[in-house]
Amino acid sequence: MSTAATTTAGTAGDTPVFSVGGLWKVFGPKADRVPGDPELTALGPAELRSRTGCTAAVRDVSFDVRKGEVFVVMGLSGSGKSTLVRCLTRLIEPTAGTIAIDGEDVRAMDGARLRELRRHRAAMVFQHFGLLPHRTVLDNVAYGLQIQGVGKAERRERAAEVVAKVGLEGMEQRRPAQLSGGQRQRVGLARALAVDPEVLLFDEPFSALDPLIRRDMQEEVVRLHREEGRTMVFITHDLQEALKLGDRIALMRDGRVVQLGTPEEIVGSPADDYVRAFVRDVPREQVMTVRTAMRPAASAEEADGGPAVRPDATVSEAIEAVARAGGPARVMEQGRCLGVVDSAALLDVVAGVAGMTGVAGAAAPARRREPTPTPAAVSEEPV
Amino acid sequence: MATITATARKDSPPGPLTSPALRKLLTLALVAAVLVPLAAARWASGTWPEALTVDVSEPLGEASDWIIDNRDSHPLFLYFFGHVSNVVVIAVRAVYLALLAVGWAGVTAVAALVAWRAAGSRLALGTGAAFLACGLLGMWVPTLQTLALMVVAVAASVAVGVLLGLAAGLSDRMHRALRPVLDTMQVLPAFAYLLPVVLVFGIGVPAAVLATVVYAAPPMARLTALGLRGADEEVLEAVESLGATARQRLLTARIPLARRELLLGLNQTIMMALSMAVIASVIGAGGLGDRVYQALASVDVGAALAAGIPIVLLAVVLDRVTGAAGARLGEAPAPHARALWAYALIAAVAVAVAGRLTDRLEWPDGWVVGIAEPVNRAVGWMTDHLYSGVPVVGGTADWAGHFTTWVLDPLRDGLQWLPWWSVLLVVAALAWLIGTWRTALTAVLAMAAIGVLGVWKPSLDTLSQVLAAVAVTLVVGFATGIAAARSDRVERLLRPVLDVFQTMPQFVYLIPVVALFGVGRAPAVAAAVVYALPAVVRITAQGLRQVDPAALESARSLGATSGQQLRQVQLPLARPALLLAVNQGVVLVLAVVIIGGLVGGGALGYDVVFGLAQGDLATGLVAGAAIVCLGLMLDRVTQPTERRAKKGA
Repeated sequence: MSTAATTTAGTAGDTPVFSVGGLWKVFGPKADRVPGDPELTALGPAELRSRTGCTAAVRDVSFDVRKGEVFVVMGLSGSGKSTLVRCLTRLIEPTAGTIAIDGEDVRAMDGARLRELRRHRAAMVFQHFGLLPHRTVLDNVAYGLQIQGVGKAERRERAAEVVAKVGLEGMEQRRPAQLSGGQRQRVGLARALAVDPEVLLFDEPFSALDPLIRRDMQEEVVRLHREEGRTMVFITHDLQEALKLGDRIALMRDGRVVQLGTPEEIVGSPADDYVRAFVRDVPREQVMTVRTAMRPAASAEEADGGPAVRPDATVSEAIEAVARAGGPARVMEQGRCLGVVDSAALLDVVAGVAGMTGVAGAAAPARRREPTPTPAAVSEEPV
Repeated sequence: MATITATARKDSPPGPLTSPALRKLLTLALVAAVLVPLAAARWASGTWPEALTVDVSEPLGEASDWIIDNRDSHPLFLYFFGHVSNVVVIAVRAVYLALLAVGWAGVTAVAALVAWRAAGSRLALGTGAAFLACGLLGMWVPTLQTLALMVVAVAASVAVGVLLGLAAGLSDRMHRALRPVLDTMQVLPAFAYLLPVVLVFGIGVPAAVLATVVYAAPPMARLTALGLRGADEEVLEAVESLGATARQRLLTARIPLARRELLLGLNQTIMMALSMAVIASVIGAGGLGDRVYQALASVDVGAALAAGIPIVLLAVVLDRVTGAAGARLGEAPAPHARALWAYALIAAVAVAVAGRLTDRLEWPDGWVVGIAEPVNRAVGWMTDHLYSGVPVVGGTADWAGHFTTWVLDPLRDGLQWLPWWSVLLVVAALAWLIGTWRTALTAVLAMAAIGVLGVWKPSLDTLSQVLAAVAVTLVVGFATGIAAARSDRVERLLRPVLDVFQTMPQFVYLIPVVALFGVGRAPAVAAAVVYALPAVVRITAQGLRQVDPAALESARSLGATSGQQLRQVQLPLARPALLLAVNQGVVLVLAVVIIGGLVGGGALGYDVVFGLAQGDLATGLVAGAAIVCLGLMLDRVTQPTERRAKKGA
């Protein structure tokens, strides 16, 4: 089951920020022997535990994180996602496999080089914030710079800028205990941003927050990503969050990546029954794009008239356009008509019978599925 | 096996007669059936058989003589203990002279200002008043002596404790090695520490300071380790993820995160140091404790009270100020903190200089209020009117006499009449039922060691006093604790009383009981009960109040009466707390019963005092070792399977 490998094979060009290959993390006695032993690696989690007393938190995971993307790792608790993100900067020492940051082998780094990596290249935001309760907001944000040995005046100045950037002006002198949960996580975010890292790692940063605050924070992350274009690796157990933030999503189960792809691929063509069950309640019209639902224009007349929508517009946007116009809409890209969507096609997407290969109820007319682009082609699209 | 039985018992809380307990008893009965006839046939006697004792007093006496002979010549003393001793003497002397040089006004001002900055203006006033009261009672010089000894002892205890705590906090191996030692040191009575240091250093200030350090350092070490280990894992991970070195992590995260525990450790260390500094008067500490000791020796209650009140005041002030400093940790610092410190310092210096210039460094004689005389008159009146012959209720001395005749004597004679092996068997059965086979084994070995040391009889005498005191403590303590847990008003009334009682050094409790009951075993028991009660009440009340409210609510919704709620929900669920209360009660009672040797308690405590007074260290050391064994045995017998990380007291 190496979905990951096939998907990452599609990338070309510049070096990925993180490149992970065949990564294993096994907890327990004599954990080293597990990844190398084909007999043991074939076992399920329960059998492995009873045979060896070991737990494989991460099993043979491979993926690349591309520059500037938001890479989401999602899975339920115990799926190994938090262990995985800690392996990236060796907060947890991996058992086997390769990790490279900008092509440099992370597992071969010595203590000083590793500290260098943690200080300047990858900063992490934690679920329960991990703030130092005895320091003010400003000094918490400046803490990473202090670790680097930046002088007091300079680090405070830089910290103050970041505090303003995350919307905490006027709270510089407060203690973490005097802040709300959302504000604390803003401090956590600011602390990570203050060291100006190449990659931001988020470990379920918003799970401990109220739903409304969580939405604010998600929008904050979207905004930051839009403004700065920083590469992000985002761990979450919340599917909505994953779909909202992720350029690509790796879905984990029992330590393995069961599917890796864009939100649209995950929702539109689940790799197995587990993923299908997972995405069943997702409102498809808000994730699927019209590119999936369109068909070639039947006639020149159809290609010239009607409202125009972008190919990456969501189905729900197209529904609105089609409903207003009362007829099919054209999918336009750079003045060229790629195809058309009509109400029937859009309805199929909402009903979950379109674009889903191998669904039991594949009663959808074959003609509608023909123009559906392959998932690989979609993932090439810069989003 | 131990863990299995423990979980099994958790599933069925009520009644010790569940199957694991029965199984343990049966196993024990089986072992006893084999061993007891053998033992009884060979060494049949009520008391510990002669054949099984080892006379250690001769080698101990020789060792003590050797040390006395070689103290001035042997390199170990010349180059190590000698230097330690000198450093301690010089340090205490220096602090004492410095305090004298600042003058009474200066000392009071400095103390009040430190209290102000650390704990607020109300405690500052209290601190100032307490110091002035010490002067008014004519105890200024002894107070300074005690303070000087305390300053040196606390500084050394904190240094030692923090170092040990750092080691135990950062290294798992050190933690495993240190924890049982620290746990055990915590349960031993203060008296047990006196003789070994006297053996090495002789009677005097160095011995007193070192005994104090040995007694007071363990809580600092424990709490430092606890704080370092208890740090929020995610914070440490966050620090690690920012690329901190091990040193940066320790200095900027782990130690600051443990500040609360460190301050609590400081608080406990100070309180234990004060307690010990007072007790150490029997090995030459001088100061307030010495005044109490001398006064008690001549049953001069007035003089003892005049010295005892400053001890209590010091204890309360030190406890409240350090406690308040700990409680303030979470708050943001007040603005201009530094400027205020500077003002405080300048003011204190001004007061001290003014005192110097006006040449009023010593407490003026005219300001001393002698309370010894009126107190003694009152005690005399009490002796005449309350001791005996009060109609209907009888007198206090009568009560003490009755208690001795009807409770202590039969208990002691009964224990001493019991065949020695049956005592061991009872110890084993109790310890195993409550704890694990490990604790049972330790308890039995400790008890056997007492027999081997040849102090079986006096130890059983002490044990009888402990049992009587524990019984009274538990009955009164559980009743009060339940009342406090069920009524907020009772708790509000009790809280300040418990607060003060829990901060007072053990020694002080002897003063009022001597006034009321004279000397003998009954007053020793009474002092022990009063000393142990607050902890038992507090742990009981807390345990009952912390019972899961949902469980209580569901019982209430089923229509349980408040009696049913107490019996069927609160008490069973609070079982760990109640066991802890028993354990603490036993440990605290033992400590004071031993000290009771000073007021006619006899038995092991008296042996220690006698050994010190007569220079017969062998007797004292054997008694000290027996105290250690008795403490170990009593602690293990009452030790619940899961020991709490922190003690309630």
